[in-house]
Amino acid sequence: MEALKTIRPELLTLAPDQLRALSPYLFVFAGTLLAILFSAARVVKSRWPAFLIFIVSSIIGTVAALVLLREPPTLLFNGMMSSDAYANSFCVIFLVSAIVTAASSLKYLDNEELQQPEYYVLILFSALGMMLMASALDLIVMFIAFELMSLAVYMLVGFRRNDRRSNEAAMKYFILGSAASAVLLYGVALLYGATGSTSIRGIFAYLQAASGQGVTPVFAIGAWFAVLGFLFKIAVVPFHMWMPDVYEGAPVPVTGFMTTGLKAAAFAAFLRVFIATGYGSGVSAVIQNHIHDILWVSAVLTMVIGNVIALTQTNLKRMLAYSSIAHSGYILVGMIAGPLSEQGYAPVFMYLTAYAVMNLGAFVILTSLAARNDGGLNLHDFSGLSRRHPWLAFSLAIFMFSLAGIPPTAGFSAKYVLFYSAIQANEIPLVVISVLCSLISVYYYLRVLVYMYMRDTPDEVPVRRRVSVWSAAAIAAMVILTLQIGVLPARIVAAAKKAVTSL
Amino acid sequence: MSQVEPWVVLSFCSIIFFIGFTGLLIRRNILVVLMCIELMLNAVNLTFVTYAKLLQNLGGQVAVFFIITVAAAETAVGLGLVVAMFRTLRSVDTDQIQLLRE
Repeated sequence: MEALKTIRPELLTLAPDQLRALSPYLFVFAGTLLAILFSAARVVKSRWPAFLIFIVSSIIGTVAALVLLREPPTLLFNGMMSSDAYANSFCVIFLVSAIVTAASSLKYLDNEELQQPEYYVLILFSALGMMLMASALDLIVMFIAFELMSLAVYMLVGFRRNDRRSNEAAMKYFILGSAASAVLLYGVALLYGATGSTSIRGIFAYLQAASGQGVTPVFAIGAWFAVLGFLFKIAVVPFHMWMPDVYEGAPVPVTGFMTTGLKAAAFAAFLRVFIATGYGSGVSAVIQNHIHDILWVSAVLTMVIGNVIALTQTNLKRMLAYSSIAHSGYILVGMIAGPLSEQGYAPVFMYLTAYAVMNLGAFVILTSLAARNDGGLNLHDFSGLSRRHPWLAFSLAIFMFSLAGIPPTAGFSAKYVLFYSAIQANEIPLVVISVLCSLISVYYYLRVLVYMYMRDTPDEVPVRRRVSVWSAAAIAAMVILTLQIGVLPARIVAAAKKAVTSL
Repeated sequence: MSQVEPWVVLSFCSIIFFIGFTGLLIRRNILVVLMCIELMLNAVNLTFVTYAKLLQNLGGQVAVFFIITVAAAETAVGLGLVVAMFRTLRSVDTDQIQLLRE
């Protein structure tokens, strides 16, 4: 109650450097409001105003985040948010994946007769939510950011309003997603009860003070609920059932956005909370061992089940959905190893970046090739693609090599760094299982290549679709990034190290 | 006037939370499922308020306002999705969600 009696003026205003630190969020937020105005008023009956506002505001936001990367971290809003290298690097990932998604959707939405300006508004809203998630230092702020992101994505999943699959996917995602949020929030409430604070640093300070005498049961249960909520959101194996269905029902570009942006955001927030639960800090051996064991089991299950089910899929969209589950498993390996190896959580960041780049690229190609109602994405539809679309086939081949982890691509260097840190952490059995799982994955990724390059075009030749300039530019950029991270990984490794030092 | 012990309120909250969670798992009508989600969020609110009183700390009381707001937004989106689903499915039963079950 003391805080109410003394109003501290510095809490009510923003200093110039704080305003500067907020600039990416402000640009994106301003873009969201402008775009929503244009789509509500329909001054111009076209998709261009919302789309252009989207592109301009997110590019400015990206540039602002890149500029802020060079500056020291700033605490905002009484320590509830922090604009550090970690948050800003993730902002760049989210905004780039939003830009690529929007660029590839432009023609797709025309083909599907879904062209509504609200689509771009929703993507921008969810990108804003993701950015806030990565920078939140308070669990309540994190929850609000989470919901800002999720609510927009629920609507995007159900964007094909007249399609039954899309509706079902949206409903399923909505129910399970809100249940997970409620479980997460109950965990936050219990953590608050145990520690008297909802801030991540406050919780960690409590843990350090309590080290030696162990944590109270309320704290342990709260930490459990919070971790379970996050495990659900990142869809690791016991909680993965919703994911392939949702990914299949959502429009293709939205699926691409969910596998990259949404997953990176969930991991970004999870990592902050994860550290706050005391894993790796040696304050509580009980928590350390419990969390280690549960993550170990779910990482192994996630990798094995994700990869094995992906083997049996003949639809490319569904196959990439299961492979996305498998990749979550690899990232969990990085989280288990993080505090015990010398690179810390840098491999996790690097893997998320590489995965975002290669998976976005693959989904832009799927978006350009999708027939009406997301048909035409079965493996046999890709037969002879190298004759019909040589460049698309070549780019898809690079992304598949990268997803399988074959040099010289981004997937290889990311996996190398990740497994190396796990070996340093003495998690040898885990590394052996991960490598075996990536071997399985080579089969289903390279099967796509076999269809594209070694099978003849089917008799009923599919309509040759023109690829829009926007999509072509996005694919080219992702190919270059994939090869760049693969051939010269030093830069991204340095960026990842810098990002995680501010955690 | 006798006061209610905090642990009574807290156990009450956890019971409400698990009633909501069980309802979410076993009920088939989507509107009832939405109510169960609401029940879970309200149990969380009650937990926050109880702890705020117990710890003499305002943070928990403030959190409740945010949670109420988010819950309202969530319900708005959820009901929108129910309407969209009813248009194509002619039902609000989760048993009808089966196209994606493979």
